[in-house]
Amino acid sequence: MLNLAEAPAYFERYREIIPDFEEFLAHLKRPLPLYFRLNELKCPDPEIVLKGLARQGAQAEPVPQIPNFYRVEPRTFPLGNTEEYYLGYIYPMTLNSALPVIALDPRPGEIILDMCAAPGSKTTQIAQLTKDQAVIVANDRRLDRLTALVANLKRLGVACALTTLYRGEEFPHGIPFDKVLVDAPCSGEGRYRQGYEGELLYQKEGRTNLPAIQKGLLVRAFDLVRVGGVVVYSTCTINPDENELVVDYLLRKRQGRLLECLYPQPHHPGLTEWEGKVLHPDLKKAARFFPHETDSVGFFVAKIERLL
Amino acid sequence: MAKRARRKRIHQQAVWPRTVSLEERQEVLSFWEERFGIPSETFQPYLLLATAKNYWLFIKPPDLKALQGLRVQTVGLLFTRKVSRWLKPTSTALQRFGHLATKNVVHLQPAELDRLRRERKIPYDASVEEGYVVISCEGKVWGCGFYTPGKLISYLP
Repeated sequence: MLNLAEAPAYFERYREIIPDFEEFLAHLKRPLPLYFRLNELKCPDPEIVLKGLARQGAQAEPVPQIPNFYRVEPRTFPLGNTEEYYLGYIYPMTLNSALPVIALDPRPGEIILDMCAAPGSKTTQIAQLTKDQAVIVANDRRLDRLTALVANLKRLGVACALTTLYRGEEFPHGIPFDKVLVDAPCSGEGRYRQGYEGELLYQKEGRTNLPAIQKGLLVRAFDLVRVGGVVVYSTCTINPDENELVVDYLLRKRQGRLLECLYPQPHHPGLTEWEGKVLHPDLKKAARFFPHETDSVGFFVAKIERLL
Repeated sequence: MAKRARRKRIHQQAVWPRTVSLEERQEVLSFWEERFGIPSETFQPYLLLATAKNYWLFIKPPDLKALQGLRVQTVGLLFTRKVSRWLKPTSTALQRFGHLATKNVVHLQPAELDRLRRERKIPYDASVEEGYVVISCEGKVWGCGFYTPGKLISYLP
C-alpha cells in the first residue's frame, strides 16, 4: 500500500496535469466525506430517512447540485448498519461516482448495458433515473462481485435489470443496445487518500496490464452499441494511460466522436497530449474531475457516440 | 469436521425463466389485488416470469427474443412464491409495492417489530383477514408476515 509520505513522489508524474498540485497533495491528507443516494424507487418520503438517521445521531444535508444525494455528518457514521440501508432506501456512494450515469443520461424504454456493473451503484442509479423503466443488462465477470450486485438490486427493489456473468470483452453480440456504460476496472488513483483502506490496483497486482483490459472492454462496448448509440467510459484514476489513451485507441480503431456533457461538478477537459504523444483532438471533450476540486474521488468520464 | 455454511449459489449456466401464460399472470396479479387491494394495472409495465417455485417481475423489453440469447444469472425482482398450492408475496416485492396496499396491512410499533424480528412469532390481534399480511412500522414497509387470530408470524428475511 502506498504510504502517504510516498504520495508526492508517486503523483509527481502528474504535476503538469493536476491543477494546483500542492493543494492536491494537501487534500490527500483529508478523509473523504460520506454521501448516500436516496432510492426513490423504494423510499416513500425523504423525511422518513432523514428523521430516522437523525434519531441515530447522523445529520444528512442534500447536495444542491446533484438530486437525491446527501452528505452525512459525522463521516464515520456506519450507514451500512442502519435500517434505512437494510430496507434499500439509501445507497452509500461517493459524489463523483454519480457522474458517469449523468453522462449516460438514461431514458425509460432504452436498452442499456452496464458492462462492469458490480456492486451496482451505477446500475441502481440508472434504474432510479429511468423509474425502473429501462432494460438494464448488468454484467460482471466475477461471481463473487455479481453476488453483491444481485443483493443490491434486490435490496433497492430494482425490477428492470437482469444480470449476466460474461467477461466484458467477450460479451455476446445480438442485442441492439442504445447505451453502454463501461465503468472500467482501474488503478483507483483518484480514490487514494489518507485513511483509505483499499490499495492502488497497480501496486497490488503488479503484472496486471490495466490499459490492455480497458481497451478490450471499450472496443467491445463500442461494437455492442447500435449506430447512433452512446458509450460512456469512466474510471476513478488520474493516469492518462488508462483514460485518454484508451479512448484515443478506440477513436483510431473505430468511427466515433466524443460528445460534450453538462456536469454538476467542476472539471477540466481531457488531455490531447501526454508524454510527447499527440492524442485525438476530440479528447478535449472528455472530463477530468479532481479530488481537491470536488471533495470526492477523482474521476475521468468520456461520452462517445457511435457513428458507423 | 465443521459443518459447511449453507450458501445460495448462482447457477453458472442458468437459463431464462419462462414467461407465464395470460391465465397464470391473471391468477398471480389477482391474488395481489384481492389480498392487498393493489390493482393489477400497477404491474402493467412488467412481464411475469416463472422459475420452479418463484415468480419474477421484469420490465417488458422491446425485444425479448434478443435478450433471451443471453446466459442470465437473475432476471428482475423476486415477486411471489408458490408455497404448495398457495401464493405467498415476497418481502422483497412488498418492500417495493407494499405501500400501495389498502388492506391486510399490520401497523406495528417499533417495540412490536423488534420482538417479531427476534422471536419470529408474537401474540397479536388485528382486524385483518387470516393469511399473508404487509408488515409496516412508522411508514416503512418491512415485508411479509402471516396473521392468524391472536398470532403474527414473521416471514421477514
